[in-house]
Amino acid sequence: MRGRGALAAGFIALAAAAAVPLVVRNSFALHLCILVFLWATLGEAWNVLGGFAGQVSFGHAALFGLGAYATAILYLRAELAPWWGIPLGGIAAAVVSIPTGLVAFRLRGPYFSLATLAVAELTKLVALNWEWATNGPTGFLITSLPTLHLFGISVDWEAKAPFYLSALAMMGLAMGTAAALSNSRLGSFLLAIRENEDAAEAVGIDTVRAKVLTLALSGFLAGVSGGFYAFYFRYIDPDAVLNLGISMEMVFIAVVGGLGTVLGPLVGAVFLTVVGEEVRERFGAGHLVFYGLFMMLAIRFLPEGIWGRSRKLLARLSAREARHAAPRG
Amino acid sequence: MGALYAMIGIGLTIVFGVMRIINLAHGEMVMLGMFAAYLGHKSLGIDPYLSLLLWVPVLFLAGVAVYRFLLARVLSGGELNTLLYTAGLSLLVANAALLLFSGDYRTLTLGYAVVPLRPFGIAIPVALAIGFALAVVITTALWLFLGRTDLGRAIRATSQNREAALLMGIDAERVAALSFGLGTALAGAAGVLLAPSLYLYPTVGELVIVKAFVVVVLGGLGSIPGAIAGGLLLGTVESLGAVYVSSTYKDGLGYVLFLLVLLYRPSGIFGVGRS
Amino acid sequence: MRKLVPSLVPLLAVLAFPAAADTLKIGAPQPLTGPDAPFGDKFKKAYGMAVEEINAAGGVNGKMLEVLIDDHMAKNALAATVAEKLITQDKVLIVTGGRASGQSMEIASVCQRLKTPYLVDHPSADMITSKGFEWVFRNNPTGSIYPAAFDSFVVDHPGAMPKSVAVVYDNTLFGKTIATAVMKFLKSKGVPVVAEEAYPVNTLDFRPIMTKVKAANPDFLLLVAVATTDAILLTRHAKEIGIEPRAFVGFGGGFGVADFASQLGPLAENVFSSAAWSGNPNDPRTKAFYEKFHAKFGIWPHEHEVEGYAAIFIIADAMRRAHLTGDLEADRDAIRKALLATDMVTVFGKVKFGNWTGPTGDPFTNQNIYSPEHSVLAQWRNGQLLNVWPQTYAETKVVFPEPGTRK
Repeated sequence: MRGRGALAAGFIALAAAAAVPLVVRNSFALHLCILVFLWATLGEAWNVLGGFAGQVSFGHAALFGLGAYATAILYLRAELAPWWGIPLGGIAAAVVSIPTGLVAFRLRGPYFSLATLAVAELTKLVALNWEWATNGPTGFLITSLPTLHLFGISVDWEAKAPFYLSALAMMGLAMGTAAALSNSRLGSFLLAIRENEDAAEAVGIDTVRAKVLTLALSGFLAGVSGGFYAFYFRYIDPDAVLNLGISMEMVFIAVVGGLGTVLGPLVGAVFLTVVGEEVRERFGAGHLVFYGLFMMLAIRFLPEGIWGRSRKLLARLSAREARHAAPRG
Repeated sequence: MGALYAMIGIGLTIVFGVMRIINLAHGEMVMLGMFAAYLGHKSLGIDPYLSLLLWVPVLFLAGVAVYRFLLARVLSGGELNTLLYTAGLSLLVANAALLLFSGDYRTLTLGYAVVPLRPFGIAIPVALAIGFALAVVITTALWLFLGRTDLGRAIRATSQNREAALLMGIDAERVAALSFGLGTALAGAAGVLLAPSLYLYPTVGELVIVKAFVVVVLGGLGSIPGAIAGGLLLGTVESLGAVYVSSTYKDGLGYVLFLLVLLYRPSGIFGVGRS
Repeated sequence: MRKLVPSLVPLLAVLAFPAAADTLKIGAPQPLTGPDAPFGDKFKKAYGMAVEEINAAGGVNGKMLEVLIDDHMAKNALAATVAEKLITQDKVLIVTGGRASGQSMEIASVCQRLKTPYLVDHPSADMITSKGFEWVFRNNPTGSIYPAAFDSFVVDHPGAMPKSVAVVYDNTLFGKTIATAVMKFLKSKGVPVVAEEAYPVNTLDFRPIMTKVKAANPDFLLLVAVATTDAILLTRHAKEIGIEPRAFVGFGGGFGVADFASQLGPLAENVFSSAAWSGNPNDPRTKAFYEKFHAKFGIWPHEHEVEGYAAIFIIADAMRRAHLTGDLEADRDAIRKALLATDMVTVFGKVKFGNWTGPTGDPFTNQNIYSPEHSVLAQWRNGQLLNVWPQTYAETKVVFPEPGTRK
């Protein structure tokens, strides 16, 4: 979907979604929605680098965790309110990702992926051991949020609505960024890089700059999600925000949802949350088995993801209708 | 320890060398080997070292099957797709094992392996010593296989240049399947040898795979002697690092070394791998 | 845009579930799958047995108890989700369980915010009861209180004050807390710490660390391990390298399980285990519980089972005294007030919640004031773990110093 139509549809959808907490009072349902938004944002963040630019990273949890820790440290040590802290967390993650990217992007394809794994594990080690900064394995517990007055009402941080709306806004930001990226010059550079990096360089594209910029963007989104996580779940420790499982889930969402599409990660996040809850309820068993299975099925049969394939089908359907509808002659 | 790292590394490097697949599920195959040995020992009372004779062929066939039915179709999607696919496989196998075996760690103790040997005053646990010895035997056998037999040469040829090998009449598909089987068998064998010295739990694959990659990269992706050297090097660095630097950072040392090699000497420390 | 409908579908299924009539619901997030599953299972058994007994005796003021266990798979975020679900969907009156500290912190946070009482039965992170959460209560001792028996041993047993110690601990919240508490205590007694090593959990080879430790020649070797595998390898490698302290003292769950002795055989002999408290074995009520549990499930209960079982009784006692009207919010608050007034004895020991200062200086809220008594030093003898200190809990005489070492 391109152009004004898509933008309008997007705004309408966002507005509709924002109205939901007024209608739905069930706090658990809202909690699930928040989870979906959070994962959609993370999936989008990963997708920007992995889907658009074709650089598969297995270490995105490091960016997420960085944002989480930065925000928590700023809040607990420097008393910086979360509405400043979270964006700063995102910026911190982006800033750290730049030199890392400059170095790591010298590697291609699978080598890059392996390097991201190593970097993420190193980040976790640092978080675990640099206690003066991160409190080591003890982590940070946020016990209360600062008072905020909006339109004369004091925000109730015990309710779901403020978090729901923040998460929705965050996801909107992520998707907007992804959409803008795909329509921009940088986006077309990334497409070229993804398809054939050498050719892209030959044509004169500064591939390193493009990749680093994308990583920074991706890092910002992941860092912001991390900050949000810290304030919504209130407790972070190295294992909760820096473990490999988070990186893998991000990959899963983007791949199963639709690599390189804007809506894909949302579809992936919905799928993941729904399947996860269902499996947990029904079988109480390791839903990760299904993640692995679906990932394999997706790559094998649906490499463009659920949304990617749906898009193609929709396109084909509307093309067929157009053919039938248009008068021959 | 180094020798066992080496064995795991060799398996991975063969798979990469021949098919340019980085198999993220390799760690899970080691895990399967460990559990296979454990089950054999527990229910049938078979000595794990002897059970190698049983499990190696089984794992080999399993590897070939995995290749034929699962991997072959996906390869056309490109390196990254294959990478993601094996990542999914690794998740699947590890968690399926978790479901089947529950998260309890298990240990395999051998009656004759409790008291360590003490040559020259250095304590060496029996299990590790036997494991080392067998690892050396297996590696040597592998070396001879690749160097002297036709099939071995076919594997090496395909890994060096697939097109040329095809032109020479080598059935590249078959070689690929066999190599994967070989890689899996080696992983499983390493698992069997490791089982008596360590404790096993279904998610041990995570630990193993990282070490395996470090080994392979250090030695040069695709090079077998490189993998051997890499394994020994990693084992040594870790032990020395723990003593002289700090035990908390010893894992970190491995990662840093890994990154440095990836960046500055992608063909491995010895320059014999493929970048 | 079908963003929200899909996630509401499973919800509707859950909401449509007919509410069980008139039972008093207790929520218990536990790991039922995943690496911590064996522990979750212990709690499941213990809760089940307690509920059966209470219900068979007529329930609480005529109403039956029901424990809803939900799986959090040892993941923090999932624990928060599960706690929310139990509180808002299943409308439980009180929450217990959690198992691991990370997950319990999430649960405590959720309970505090959603004004539902949370009785901590096992998780030991000091933070859970030192943040001033008035809805959170804890029966079991915290990590910093664990070494209390060891501390009293070195002070009161003749000749037991170490001349120097080496401390090797795992770099987890639990391991660190215990190591820090022990070192703080020993330093206050003037004992030098000649070696201090933190190791990552599931280390495969401790020999390098032990080589370093041997060089420091410690009088006592203190080992902290949450994971059994770490405990076993620590001990094995320490002895292989040839360290000969006057005492090997193990802290943490890893040193207290049967596998420790069965895997190490003679190497486990005389190793101390500052094991988790699992009730006073010399107390007839506790003994009766052990027998009953063993008869029913075929295994001997330890800390987890005793804690879970006792927790249900504490909850039942509070419910009995609280005036429950059926209004969820009021009832939860009534139970909370009842807990504040709790003063009873369980198979775990005495229980009374209070606000006091812990050994590392943390201010506790609603922490069992008898916790320092719930610590015991045990020793492995002939494959059996027997309490040796303090005397009131002792099952046998302590063997100290390690035979063959100088006094």
